[in-house]
This record gives sequence, C-alpha cells and structure tokens, in this order.
Amino acid sequence: MTTDNKLIEVSNLQKSFGKIEVLKGINTNINKGEVVVVIGPSGSGKSTFLRTLNLLELPTGGTINFEGVDITDPSTNINLHRQKMGMVFQQFNLFPHMTILKNMTLAPIKLLKKSKQDAESDAMKLLNKVGLADRADAYPSQLSGGQKQRVAIVRALAMNPDVMLFDEPTSALDPEMVGEVLSVMKELAETGMTMVIVTHEMGFAREVADRVLFIDEGVIMEEGTPDEIFNHPKSPRLQDFLSKVL
Amino acid sequence: MESFINYYKEFYADFSQQFQTVFIKDNRYMQIVKGFQITLQITIGSLILGVILGVIVAAIRSTYDKNKETLKAKGGFGYISLSILNSICKIYLTIIRGTPVVVQLMISYYIIFASIENGIPIGIFAFGINSGAYVAEIFRGGIMSIDNGQFEAGRSIGLNYIQTMWYIIIPQMFKAVLPTLCNEFIALLKETSVVGYVGVTDITKAGNAIAGRTYNFFLPLIAVALVYLAIVMILTSLVSLLERRLRKSDH
Repeated sequence: MTTDNKLIEVSNLQKSFGKIEVLKGINTNINKGEVVVVIGPSGSGKSTFLRTLNLLELPTGGTINFEGVDITDPSTNINLHRQKMGMVFQQFNLFPHMTILKNMTLAPIKLLKKSKQDAESDAMKLLNKVGLADRADAYPSQLSGGQKQRVAIVRALAMNPDVMLFDEPTSALDPEMVGEVLSVMKELAETGMTMVIVTHEMGFAREVADRVLFIDEGVIMEEGTPDEIFNHPKSPRLQDFLSKVL
Repeated sequence: MESFINYYKEFYADFSQQFQTVFIKDNRYMQIVKGFQITLQITIGSLILGVILGVIVAAIRSTYDKNKETLKAKGGFGYISLSILNSICKIYLTIIRGTPVVVQLMISYYIIFASIENGIPIGIFAFGINSGAYVAEIFRGGIMSIDNGQFEAGRSIGLNYIQTMWYIIIPQMFKAVLPTLCNEFIALLKETSVVGYVGVTDITKAGNAIAGRTYNFFLPLIAVALVYLAIVMILTSLVSLLERRLRKSDH
C-alpha cells in the first residue's frame, strides 16, 4: 500500500467524556476502496471512534487526516469535508417532515448547487438501485425499518461521498429486514466504495471486510483480515469476545 | 301561557330599551368598536415583537446549549460573546417571568417612557417584551425536544449549523410547538385587557366606561366577553386547520 492510497489517517486519537476515557489512542489508516469493519464489545468505544471520524464527536487528542487535511484543526471548515463523508445511523435519522425524494435532494441542491431536476433525477437513479423508486413521494413514517435504512444509505450516497461511515446500521432493525440492508451495503462495497462499518453482524464482516478492527477498552486490540481475526484470533480478549458472539 | 307571553314581552321591551341605552344612544357601540381596534393593534404589535424577541433569545440559548463544548474547545471571542449573550437572555427571562405583566406595564409607562403620553406603543412594548420571554422558552423547548439524531444527520451530510436549524430542526420544532404557541397568543390577547391601567381605552376599558355611564353592567361586559371569545375561537380553529395541514407527514 502506497502512502497516497490513504484516505483517512488516524493517529493517537483520544476522546474523553468528562473523566471517562473512551478512546485511549487509536492509530490506523483507512485506504481508498477498502472496507473496514469495526467490531468489539459494547462500550468499547467503536461507535465513538466512528463518530470522531467526521467530528460528530470532537476528539480530545490526536489527529485525523482526511484526504490530506487535518480535520481536527479548529481552522478547518469541517462542513466541506463532511460532504465527502456519508454517514448512516443506527436510528436512520431520516427527516420526517420531508418526502423521501426531498430527504435525498436537500443537501445536493443546497450544498452542491445542483438544479432541482438534476438532483431529482440522480436521486431517482439511486432509489432505483435500492428498489424504492416507487416510494419517492412517501414520507419516512410510511416506510418499514429496512426501507428507511436503504433510503438513509442512498441519501448519503446522493452527496457522492468518498467514504461511507456506518454506525451499527442493522441494530435497530427487525431480524427479517437485516438482510435487505446488508445486501445493499454489499453491493456498495463491490462498487469500490471506501467503507467503515461498525456492526455486530459477524457473518457480514467475514464476508465483506477487507480488514477487521477489534476495538476494546478504547484501543485497537487486534486487526487483520477476516480470516486472521475470526479463524486465528491471537489476543485472549478477542478469543473471549468471539466465543460470545459467534 | 299568557303570563309567559307577558313576561317575555316585558323582558323584550326592557331588553331592547337597555340595548338602546347601552349601545345605540350617543353611538356608544362605536366605543366598543374603537376599543376593539386598539386591542387588536396592541395584540398584533406585541405578538410580532414577542415572536422576534422569542426567536432571537431561543436561538442564542439553544446555540449556546448545543455548541458550548465545541466552542469552549476552540476558545476565544466566539465562546465569550456567546456566553455573555446567553447570560443576558437568562436574566431577561428571569425578570420578565418573575414579575406580573401589569407591574411591567406600569413600569414601562411611568418610569421607562415617562415622557411619552400615548399608551398604545408602550403597551405594545410591554406586552411584546413580556410575551417574548414565554415564546422564547416555547421555541427553545421545541428545539430541544427534536431528537439529536436529526441534528447529527443534518450536520453529517455537510449542512452547517444554521442550515441544519433552518431546514431540519425549525420546521419540525414549529409543528411541535404550534398548540403551545397558540395558547400563548390567546393568553396575550386576554392579557392586553389590563392596558387600561395606563389610560388606554381598549375594548375592556370601553365596556367598563359604558357600564359606568349607563349604570348597566350586564350588557356591555357580556358584549366585551363575547368579542374576546369570538376572536379566541376563530384563532383556535385557524390553528387546528394549520395543524391538520402540517400533520400530512405523520400518517
């Protein structure tokens, strides 16, 4: 891997909430086109790690370089960089007062200065890909959980991001809807999108990940290919964790 | 039966004579009409002032609450000026909500604007400042009641703080606070009835003046009450109409 392949460089990332130290120095790089899956016990800091990547949580130490810019520098305009980092939340967070189409075209029109027609036709193409074109004029409350999450994914994609961050995207779904969301994410991975995914879906991690990070107690305890992590775990903590979830 | 008809006739004759004295003679109904206009002027004026003030105060208070950590980390002028503004807003809210509106009205008239004779602008000022404090807290409560995930979703697609507020939070907030806001407007309309304390002849004062002149309290005061009731009912039905339209998105 060459240096200019790095999309995100995280060095010595720390985050404390008051006296509680959640991240105690995370070092890792996210490369272009790579699918990184983050696993770990609850409370280990994996969601916090993901949320610091686009500064939804402000780090208390360390730096994050995104596309060569230190976004933790207070003088950086984070809004511009966030446009290039799509994010999908556990609770979907669709805008309930807007139709699906409006949800998807708001940011492209306001931020990328796309015309309404362009934004709408791009949004319809994305909706077509996830099989929801017929729900374009529905409101979020009329959709099922799986449909909402698929919309949330294409809403983020409508900004044409360079990386997609997924914060436990299937944890709030009914079991029978997990598959439809994972398959959309899998297709996305196959297109070469850079993805960082926090998840409890070990089967999915094994299948889709290029690299797996095991975070525990605020540090990356172990990282490697899915084969290394799932079939040959080295640290006792990871072995213990896997014995509980697999 | 006959006695009933007689009683009715007598009552009608009496009533129509009273009606003549109270409303028709000397064009007294015009006092009520003029008073009504003044009540409306003060209510609408203070409503506008109150909403503007309320929006500003709510914006400062919720911006401070939502961003104090980020700004504290950045430090410098932004944080200091915002916390000063926030403190000013808190003092304003405490004073206004801690004292009666009549006292505020009299302080405005006899102390702050002692040199101005016309009570109408002073009434607008006093009721506007008063209403602003309540409207501010209604708006702030509404903003805080919107799930933080909405805010994060807006920020995560690259909208800045103001854009997120404007496109995502405020439309949802407005829907959530509409009934409470309507109550505040109704309360404001009725509160303006104390403006007679500073010599303004609003509809209440006009009714009272007619009562004093004709020694008939029943008709003028009931008439005044009915006018208030009518406006409140119109306002309520307008708001429920608006609510129904806004509810389109949550089936």
